[in-house]
Amino acid sequence: MKKIMIIEDDPTIQKELSKLLENSGYQSMILENFKEAKKEILKNAPDLILLDINIPYMNGEALLQNLRKESNIPVIMVTSRNTEIDEVLSMSYGADDYITKPYHPTILLLRIEAVLKRANASVDVITYKELKINLKKGVIEKNQKEIYLTKNEMIIFSYLLNNQNRIVTRDELMTDLWNNEEYINDNALTVNISRLRAKLKEVGYEDAIETRKKMGYILL
Amino acid sequence: MKLKEYLKDHLLFLLFFFFLLGILFLLQNAFKCNQSLIFATLILLSFSLIITLLFDYIRKKKFYNSLLFNIEHLEESYLVLETITEPTFYEGKLLYQAFYDINKSMLERVEKYQEGMIDFKEYIEMWIHDVKIPLSSLTLMAHNYQNQLDKSFLEQLRRLDNSVEQVLYYVRQESVEKDYMIKETSIKKVLGKVALRNKDDLLEANIDFLIEGEDALVLTDSKWLEFILNQIINNSIKYRKIKIASYIKVSIEEKEEKVIIHILDNGIGIKSSDLPRIFDKSFTGENGRIQRKSTGMGLFIVKNLCQKLGHKIKIDSIENDYTKISLIFSKNSYFDVLK
Repeated sequence: MKKIMIIEDDPTIQKELSKLLENSGYQSMILENFKEAKKEILKNAPDLILLDINIPYMNGEALLQNLRKESNIPVIMVTSRNTEIDEVLSMSYGADDYITKPYHPTILLLRIEAVLKRANASVDVITYKELKINLKKGVIEKNQKEIYLTKNEMIIFSYLLNNQNRIVTRDELMTDLWNNEEYINDNALTVNISRLRAKLKEVGYEDAIETRKKMGYILL
Repeated sequence: MKLKEYLKDHLLFLLFFFFLLGILFLLQNAFKCNQSLIFATLILLSFSLIITLLFDYIRKKKFYNSLLFNIEHLEESYLVLETITEPTFYEGKLLYQAFYDINKSMLERVEKYQEGMIDFKEYIEMWIHDVKIPLSSLTLMAHNYQNQLDKSFLEQLRRLDNSVEQVLYYVRQESVEKDYMIKETSIKKVLGKVALRNKDDLLEANIDFLIEGEDALVLTDSKWLEFILNQIINNSIKYRKIKIASYIKVSIEEKEEKVIIHILDNGIGIKSSDLPRIFDKSFTGENGRIQRKSTGMGLFIVKNLCQKLGHKIKIDSIENDYTKISLIFSKNSYFDVLK
């Protein structure tokens, strides 16, 4: 389980953010001692840090600069400062991404996932049961049988795969699609999911994607 | 400065002079002076008068003419003092000093207001950052408890966020300092952010969001561009037609000299009589009156931001048919050279 550290001084955001992360399958921890921020980070060695700019004692940018001298832990700046200058500065200090408040929680999760993937040298081929999924080629493969997925189908399938055994809402799938510049509507999402099901049926996984009424889908 | 007016101004002096000249003539005649001497005195005296007056006139004309000319031709006429040299004659010196004092007191006053504006701007920016913290908390809470909350809860939060942001950009476009940073920006990337922000509203309203054309790089501030596009797309959502298949079509057109983004919708359009004033401050027009929620500030701010960034914006619409807004970015060869 990936460990994410929240560096943020507002207690409500701390609480809700950590709840969001835990619900999405991450382990979250909240930095309490801002005075010894760098020490705490290095001691706990998180996989990723969500860092606010306006924090006590030292601002987030300075902390980031300081941290980069010793560590390459991925850092996403999460802040209400929203000028281009702030963003360019943070990125030049070594941030991996920059998100402004208020953010859409699903988008935050997608960005976290993307940064973690980049940090762990992305994998091109993943497996699901006896199925090999080649993300780059857009192909699923079983016993030498190859089936091509469209870009949309692949986005949906890999999102379900990354969140296996958890109910995924239609909104999450939609957000991921729109995040990949596929601006489709509700009907198109339904069509894409039934096409994906048909393709999975061809390789013998007819009931892999289950519909949970009024909640979403789950990949079993 | 006109000679006639100048002489009129010295009328009393002239009348008195000629009166004295007359008396002198009569006196010299009464004392039976030599006729030639009488005429010589009169001519010499008249001549010296003309020389003195002419010299004075030319000196003053030079000063006043350049003063008046500069006031008329300067865009900010209060700067006129910087453009003229201090005159050599007494009245001019007095005037110059008076101008100097007036200027100084005005500048002090303006500076006081400017300081007030800057303080106010800083306060507003700080206030907006403060507001964004509970806004973030609420958004997170709405997501964490989404089973228990209605979808319109999030919609209201988005509305709040958009209004707050409009204030932020209003303050930024009014301020004198440079709050932006120009760099090469991918249009599709910015469009993606705007699309994601409006995703729920677009889906809720059943509006198809389409993008056409290849991505292009433009020189702009990506945050400002995001705000501009967000305002335009918000308008398209707000003024859509009910009960038809709505769409918003964004097309990117790259030409040799410029890049154009067209944002076309098939909404209720704008009355042709409202079109020329659509970018005016607080202008709401027919559509604004129908919707009643309009402040008339959105497009005004958009236009000002475009002006600051050096982009052009055009609007074209037919009532009950479509609205098309075009943003035009010129390509600057100077930056190509730098690369």
